[in-house]
Amino acid sequence: MRKHLLALGAVLALSPCLMAQKIGVINSMSGPEAPIGENITNGIKLADEDLKKKGINLQLVWEDDTGKPQISMSAMEKLATRDNVVGVVGPYTSACSNAVAKLAEKYRVPLLIPAAAKEEITRQGLKYVFRMNAPADKYASSLIDAAASLGKPKSIAFIYENTDFGTSTTKTAKEYVARKGIQVVADEPYPKGAADYRSTLAKVKSKNPDLVFMVSYVADAILLMRQSKEVGLQPQAFLGAGAGFTTTEFAKERAISENVISCTQWTNDVNWPGAKEFGARYKAKFGKEPTYHAACAYASMMIMAETAKNAGGDRAKTRDALKSGKWNGVMGEVQFADYDGFTNQNNHQMLVQQILQGNYETVLPAKFATKKAVYPFPKWK
Amino acid sequence: MAVFLQSLISGILIGGVYALIGIGLTLIFGVMRVVNFAHGDIMMVGMYLTYLLFTLMGIDPFVSVLISFPLMFFFGGFLQKVFINRVLNAVAQNQILLTIGLGLIMSNTVMLIFTSDYKILTTSYSSSTIQVGGGVSISTPLLISFLITAAITAALGWFLLKTDTGQAIRATAQDRDAAQLMGINVSRMSVIAFGLGAALAGTAGALISPTYYIFPQVGGTFTLKAFVITVLGGMGSVVGATLGGILIGVTESMSAVYISSGWKDVVVFVLFLLVLLFKPSGLMGKSRT
Repeated sequence: MRKHLLALGAVLALSPCLMAQKIGVINSMSGPEAPIGENITNGIKLADEDLKKKGINLQLVWEDDTGKPQISMSAMEKLATRDNVVGVVGPYTSACSNAVAKLAEKYRVPLLIPAAAKEEITRQGLKYVFRMNAPADKYASSLIDAAASLGKPKSIAFIYENTDFGTSTTKTAKEYVARKGIQVVADEPYPKGAADYRSTLAKVKSKNPDLVFMVSYVADAILLMRQSKEVGLQPQAFLGAGAGFTTTEFAKERAISENVISCTQWTNDVNWPGAKEFGARYKAKFGKEPTYHAACAYASMMIMAETAKNAGGDRAKTRDALKSGKWNGVMGEVQFADYDGFTNQNNHQMLVQQILQGNYETVLPAKFATKKAVYPFPKWK
Repeated sequence: MAVFLQSLISGILIGGVYALIGIGLTLIFGVMRVVNFAHGDIMMVGMYLTYLLFTLMGIDPFVSVLISFPLMFFFGGFLQKVFINRVLNAVAQNQILLTIGLGLIMSNTVMLIFTSDYKILTTSYSSSTIQVGGGVSISTPLLISFLITAAITAALGWFLLKTDTGQAIRATAQDRDAAQLMGINVSRMSVIAFGLGAALAGTAGALISPTYYIFPQVGGTFTLKAFVITVLGGMGSVVGATLGGILIGVTESMSAVYISSGWKDVVVFVLFLLVLLFKPSGLMGKSRT
């Protein structure tokens, strides 16, 4: 009897270490955003491996939102009420993240959003919602500043997909260019999944913009550039605001992606601790280069899991620990702060990259740059 | 002026592909009075077939039309014989339910096999253009698909007007009972008509695949477009569907330029509503009792 009690006591004493942290993941694993969602999945898988090595066991509950906000909302409800997760990492798109944020607050489940751009998500004073990546206003300012530092653009045209991601990024970009004295000559939202942008692009071409600023997901980015080449749109620079313009699928289309400038949350040659190794490890394991989404997801899961474990799996304590914590890893320094009307926002440094010879090369800021930017955009062959 | 010409030309070119889908749908309705809600999904199957032929065997998408046309014809014929034939005399709602169900099975099967990831066909001429002077450029793949569409439409016209089978199909479309009394095998005509409709839809998919992306749910948008075109042109009228397709293509293109990309679908539907208000049987249709 004594022996049994002793054994039981030992097990109970050790159990917090053996207990797996139950963390939910909402991601676009199938559907149109799947190519980018795949990066988030793989980033989280790498984090899971690393956490195990540190003695943190995870029980991940994967939910596929297929890119639709209503499905990510029901996924969140399930994770919060039926699965009783301690925290959630995800979703991917701005539309899904915004939909889920209010639910996270309602159920008081800490939510760490890895890569969604829409500013308003962390401008609602929600205490349980945290965001890893720099929001849309940084996408706009880093791209416009880059162009202004490379040349003297006077006019800009906006072509963007008309859901939360496109509209919020463009709105903040328009405010920024007004301050910089660059004139907006065209403003063309388009419905996601349209087949033919030729007439829109011809219209933009006739206005002769110095810069063309585009906000698109994967498939549209390729079609837009293909059709831009067809109609002969020739600005000083093509500026792609993240997402579709940062994927390997896009870079592979050599004929149309060369010299496109895009902004990104992460590149694999930046000197944040472990960044280069992460890139190499991702490529070795999954056979292709990671996008910034993979690094954001990796860092988010590492932070969420460690914080949850230290808080003993309690949601409120995890939230407090996320708020007060400081980390330094593959995404550089991470701290969730309240500033400029943002709540729980990591003030992340964005990078500007350009596709040169089919590879993404960091060109700005200067301290991280590996190659010199090509400007203006060379004539289409 | 260049912008106007550019949008007119791209509108006509893409209208040609829309017309092909519309002709397929109108043929099926004309002969069988069945509204085929799976039409866009049949087109999607054609797109994936083209994709497979391109990636596995290296056959150019336009050349593979020679293979996919007959294959899709047999697929359509099979669908008709096994499924659609059983509901020819049923209530319209049941016919609709059946075709919707077939469409769902097709799109979900393809999703299971290929996943929902968008596939993009890149050929050597995917981004090339022909400069027509005055700053207007024509997309090479779109131009080729328009020419092929024109050739197929001409061949279809010749088939329907000059061959016995073609005339039998038109007879069945005009009056099924009278045709049967005249000794026409109307059930065989239905199989051929559905096969032709499916082949045309599949071919439209093959033709548009170098310039668009391929994913299992692409059928939905095109079914809707096909309906607008078919009703606009007059249900059962091949000429109407051709005109309707080009009209819709040009309207979309022009409204994207002169109003806004986001509103072009609204303009198309408003146009559709206006035609229905003032000429309910469609542009070329005859009112039916």
